[in-house]
Formats: sequence, C-alpha cells, structure tokens
Amino acid sequence: MEIIQVVGIGLMSTILILILKEQKPLFAFLLATATGIMIFLFLMGKIGMILSTLERVAESSGMEMIYLKTVFKIIGISYIAEFGAQIVRDAGQEGIASKIELAGKVLIMVLAVPIISIIIETVMKLLPA
Amino acid sequence: MTWLGGWLREIILVVLLAAFVEMLLPSKSMERYARLVLSLLVLLTMLSPIVSLLKGDAASELSVAMANQEKDGGLLAGAKQGDDSLQKILADGQMLAKGRQEQSLKLAADEIAGQMRDQITSETGVRGAQVTVKLGMGKAADATIGQDVPVISSVSVSLPSATGGATGTSSPTTTETTTAEPIVIPPVEEVQITVETTPDTEETGTAVGAESAAANGSNEADSNAADEADSIIKLLEQKWDLAPGVIQVQGKSSSDTKL
Repeated sequence: MEIIQVVGIGLMSTILILILKEQKPLFAFLLATATGIMIFLFLMGKIGMILSTLERVAESSGMEMIYLKTVFKIIGISYIAEFGAQIVRDAGQEGIASKIELAGKVLIMVLAVPIISIIIETVMKLLPA
Repeated sequence: MTWLGGWLREIILVVLLAAFVEMLLPSKSMERYARLVLSLLVLLTMLSPIVSLLKGDAASELSVAMANQEKDGGLLAGAKQGDDSLQKILADGQMLAKGRQEQSLKLAADEIAGQMRDQITSETGVRGAQVTVKLGMGKAADATIGQDVPVISSVSVSLPSATGGATGTSSPTTTETTTAEPIVIPPVEEVQITVETTPDTEETGTAVGAESAAANGSNEADSNAADEADSIIKLLEQKWDLAPGVIQVQGKSSSDTKL
C-alpha cells in the first residue's frame, strides 16, 4: 500500500508545481525539493531494513565485516549523490548536477583504491622477481 | 578442509551481496563504478587464500587501509596532513619500541632471577628461595656510552621458612615496631580453627601455649635468619656488582632485612 502513498504524493505535488510554476517558479522548485526529500525519507526506513537484514545475515555466516562496510558505503554514496544531483537538475543547473555526480563517482573509486592495492601487491608477489 | 568450506561460503555470500546491491543502486550512471568496486571485492575474496599466504589476513589488511584512508580526512582536509601523519608515525614507532623494550627487560629480569636463585642455592645451600628482579633503564656505570642501558634497580629475595629451628609458628622480629605481631596474629588463627570444634576455655589455652613456644625459639631463629640474609646479600653484591640498598631479603618466618 505504500507505493500508492508515494505515487499519490508525487501526483499531487506535480499538479501543484504545474500550477505554481506559472505564478512563482521559485516556490515550485522548493515544493519539488520538499517532495523529493519526503519520498527519500519515506524510503529511508525501508533501505535501513534491507541493510540491517544483510548485516545480520553476514554476521551470522561469519563474513568479513569490512566487505559489507565497503558495499554499504557504495550504496550510501551513490544514493546521496544521485539525490543531490536530481534536485540541482530540477532547478535547472545541469552543470552543477553533473559535477555532483562526478564527485560521487570519484568517491566510489576512492573506495576501490585499498582493494586494488592489496590485489596488485599480491599479484606482484606471486610473480617471480 | 574447513577453510575450503569457509572460503566457498564467503565467495558465495559476497557474490550474492554484490548482485543484491546492484539492484539497490539508484541510477545507471553510478552503476558502472559501483560494479567495478563490487567486482574487485569478489576478486579479493577469491584471492584471499593467496593473500593470506603471502601477506597475512586479507580482510584485516583491507580494514587497516580503509581506516588510514578515513583518517586522511575528507575533500577539504588541507595540506598540513603530511606533517601530522609523520608525527603520528614517529609516535607510533616510539610506542612500539617502548613495548618491545619492556618485554625484553622482563625476559632479562626473569633470566637474571633464575641465575641468582641457582647461585643462592649453590653457595649458601638455601633451597627454594624466590628471587624477583626489577630492571630499569639508567646510565651506564662507566658513563662512556651516551645511551641508557638496563640496570638492576631492585632485587628482592624471599626465603623459604627459616632453617634456624624455630619451634613456633610466630614471627620473630628485628625491629621494635612489630613486637605485637607474633602475639596478635597466631591466636586469631587458632581461634578460627578451634572455634568450630572446641569450647572457649580450651582454645585460649592452646593460644597461650603457642605464644610461649614461639617466644622460646624467637631469638635463635632471628639471628640465624639474619645471618642467612646477610650472606645472601653479600653474595649477590659480589657476583652482580650491585649497590647496597638494591637487594632486599625477606624470610617467610622472619621479618624484612634491608641493607
């Protein structure tokens, strides 16, 4: 039933924004942002449930926590970057939105650096000197 | 064979997790990058036996690297990082060296204590003496070396029960302060033992008897123990070139004798 709520909020705010846009474009943008944040917060609990389930499963099966932490960081970075970029894009600043996305990509790649370095060091040790 | 099972389980879990997380990702543009990191994680998990063979635990290596990265700060952390981290590394190194030095001092102290015990047994014939040696860092005696060297800061020898033939269980003393002790302590012990089995009158009688017996043997035991302690102190001073005052001898049934 929650999907109906989400779609309802979305439809309502869309209509309101279409009306507002004629009179006050600034308020239309604010309303769009607020709606986005509302839907995001609404989904936050669900995402948290999924993540805690994953964490519990990983803990009970003895998986290394650092892997899980890395994966969670990836999810967090991509969600936040995506959300911010969308808001900025709605306001019409395409340039800044793509910069935010770039930052998200770079930060995800930074997470890969320790893993890559460990793998490369291992491979270099495997090779005969 | 258990490690194989654990390894397989870990791979399966990581692959499942990666597939699941790919679903969770919000947009196409991030997907390529996230997929790269996830596949690297899978690769690392597959390689983990080799990594642990060559470098030690893969997961702990990774967590150390991640922690270092986090400590380096966010985007806006400035250029003064280098200085800080150098200081920190130096401090860490000093701490490690200190820990290692403490460990080696402890080992050396144990070794010295063993040798001293052997010497006491062979020279004075006292068996079962317990020797505790404390080492500290100090200036060398010849002072030509600038560095601190380990020196023996204190030696305490505790002898087994006096061989002087004391008949009582009391403790004769050399100092005037504790003369009340032999009278006070043994009766208490006697009371605790005999209260359960015997009536009150009998109990006091045994206590008094013990006291008088102790008083008889006290002088003799005292002098014997003191002689013994003196000889041990002289022996250790000569053999180990120690300053007087460092050595401390305790008899189990005689009081402390200090130089």
